[in-house]
Amino acid sequence: MDAIVKAKKDPRVEAAISHWAPRFVINGVPLTDFQEVTAGCDRWEDWCTAWSARAAIHEELGNQALKDGFKLSAGEHYTRAAVCYHFGKFLFVNDARQMKQAHRKAVECRNKALPLLDPPGERVAIPYEGKHLYGNLRKPKGVARPPVVVMCMGLDSTKEEMDDYENRFLERGLATLAFDGPGQGEAEYDFAICPEYEKPVKAVVDFVETRKDLDTGRLGVWGVSFGGYYAPRAAAFDKRIKACVALSGAYQRSASFEGRPIINVEAFRVRSKSANLEEAGKVALRVSLKGIAKNITCPIYIVAGTQDRLTPVDAARQLAAEVSGPCVLSIVEGGNHVVNNLWYRYRDQTADWMATQLGAPRK
Amino acid sequence: MPDARVQSAIAHWAPRFVSNGVPLTDFEEVTAGVERWEDWCRAWSARAAVHEELGRKALADGYKLSAGGHLTRAAVCYHFSKFVFVIDYEQMKGAHRKAVECRNLALPLIDPPGERVTIPYEGKHLAGNLRKPAGAVKPPVVVMCMGLDSTKEEMDSNENVFLARGMATLAFDGPGQGEGEYEFGIRGDYEVAVKAVLDYVATRGDVDAARVGLWGVSLGGYYAPRAAAFDKRVKACIALSGPFEWVEYFDKLPELTRHTFQVRSRSRTLAEARERAATLTLKNVAKNITCPLFVVAGKQDGIVPWQEGERLAAAASGPVVRCFLEDGNHVANNRAYRYRSQSADWMARQFGVTPE
Repeated sequence: MDAIVKAKKDPRVEAAISHWAPRFVINGVPLTDFQEVTAGCDRWEDWCTAWSARAAIHEELGNQALKDGFKLSAGEHYTRAAVCYHFGKFLFVNDARQMKQAHRKAVECRNKALPLLDPPGERVAIPYEGKHLYGNLRKPKGVARPPVVVMCMGLDSTKEEMDDYENRFLERGLATLAFDGPGQGEAEYDFAICPEYEKPVKAVVDFVETRKDLDTGRLGVWGVSFGGYYAPRAAAFDKRIKACVALSGAYQRSASFEGRPIINVEAFRVRSKSANLEEAGKVALRVSLKGIAKNITCPIYIVAGTQDRLTPVDAARQLAAEVSGPCVLSIVEGGNHVVNNLWYRYRDQTADWMATQLGAPRK
Repeated sequence: MPDARVQSAIAHWAPRFVSNGVPLTDFEEVTAGVERWEDWCRAWSARAAVHEELGRKALADGYKLSAGGHLTRAAVCYHFSKFVFVIDYEQMKGAHRKAVECRNLALPLIDPPGERVTIPYEGKHLAGNLRKPAGAVKPPVVVMCMGLDSTKEEMDSNENVFLARGMATLAFDGPGQGEGEYEFGIRGDYEVAVKAVLDYVATRGDVDAARVGLWGVSLGGYYAPRAAAFDKRVKACIALSGPFEWVEYFDKLPELTRHTFQVRSRSRTLAEARERAATLTLKNVAKNITCPLFVVAGKQDGIVPWQEGERLAAAASGPVVRCFLEDGNHVANNRAYRYRSQSADWMARQFGVTPE
């Protein structure tokens, strides 16, 4: 009887449980946290509160470690807290107030972690359209003027989710600069999604050129999900970019949102500052590499999963077919969106490839 | 429906497997594809081979760091294929050989690198993996004691926590464990094995034999304090979910665990295994532990009751930290963030290596 009477889980929460476990866990959420928080969350409306409560536990562990003088541990706890707060709000556009509050905490925790990490990081402000974009800059230990990888976020990822990706570049002698662009993270309040993403990337590369501690002559871009479109888009326009990694990005979007998960569609609508889906569709139509990708002359590494339900795998093939420079196309059999389920098939491989392109000694 | 042993694996082992290096999707896919316990070892070995192949390719391409990562994952998957697979000795041995081979290949490639060492013991040898933190001169060293089914090939993530904090690690397979299980049965007086390891450590000029800590997981959570009670060269000890008196609940153990103990203690019958279990005791021994002690127990532990940790804490004569976790399972693998960095920080402080 119980089984019949008991209300079923909200399909949005069900979708979360079945699709997101690999991404959450490899990007820093402890497995038990994922299992317990999602099991305890029946309605999507409770998602942000539940994750924020779990994040607060890690934040408190960080406070305790810092008080005890254990900086490395504090950095790890704060980073976990930031990731949990981040996932609390990553698609929670249905409640702007809650989303903003969790977002503020995610940024605060990662900022606290930055100087404590190994290697440490620093928050940087990048002038953009009379205001600023924010990024986290980390440099590999013991390398003078390292090459740098500019990391482009997607529709729902932000710089606070990047610890694992950053570490793989850092271990291989590359600096990382993960930043929130228009429609992303800290920039989503001032700036709408900008399909002409070469504009923000130009601002970031201009900023990098002002840094004497980085080798601007050896600069790569990297992008995940929607960022897997942004990064090659920028590489097509900015010849200061010497190599590009694109993960599960679109080639050309249509105006239609059919077949996409509703929370995803809403995130696009809200973050493109569109009043309705018709307006959002017009923004989506501007997302295109057609006739543009041919201007990509730097080496590019493209990753796609055959089981991707958000970006058809053909997008990767179209991009690969159109670029003018050297191209590695890695289509991973059984890979989901961003191939988070089979991360060991591309995360180290792309980092090694980038290190080679940017002339870092082989590790 | 998968058989009960497979179901129990799925329900209980995910946090341990994943926090010790198995990719989550591997855990989900391999366990979902195994219907009968008899297929467990083969299925995990097949998955391990995928990582081994990635590792060998990365090595051929000259990407050492990546190769070390892949081969370590391969070793962990091979390890879990055989960790309690005592029903088929030949299969177990084959997978074990691969686990050791992959971790040995990984050792020089990982950061910081490691080396395989052999430790004279009873006219033969025990094998261990020694890793030293980058840039440290004569660092303190943490000797890591395995349990009933863990081996040194499972230790990467635990080693890294100590290494990042300036301590060397020496994970070794003792009697009844890993490479030590073919020649030596489980023994309750584990201080004999640890004495051999500490004698070996004293011959090394590159680690500080005056700053030796012990760490032990599960049954190793008994072995480590047991050795600390006898060997005063041990300056600090971490015990994770170990028994105080193993025989008291031997009959209540999960069947797989009890059977594994019987095989690895070289007992012909269950009755003989029970007798051997009785030699694993800290009664009248724990009072001789005078070095600082950090005891971890999960109050939801379904294998070793958490109260065993309290018995140890109460009986020891030196300073004790009790880290008893309300929601922790066996070895609190589901709450790794509540004790791994904390116990390593504690150990670092005992040795004065906490970074400013």
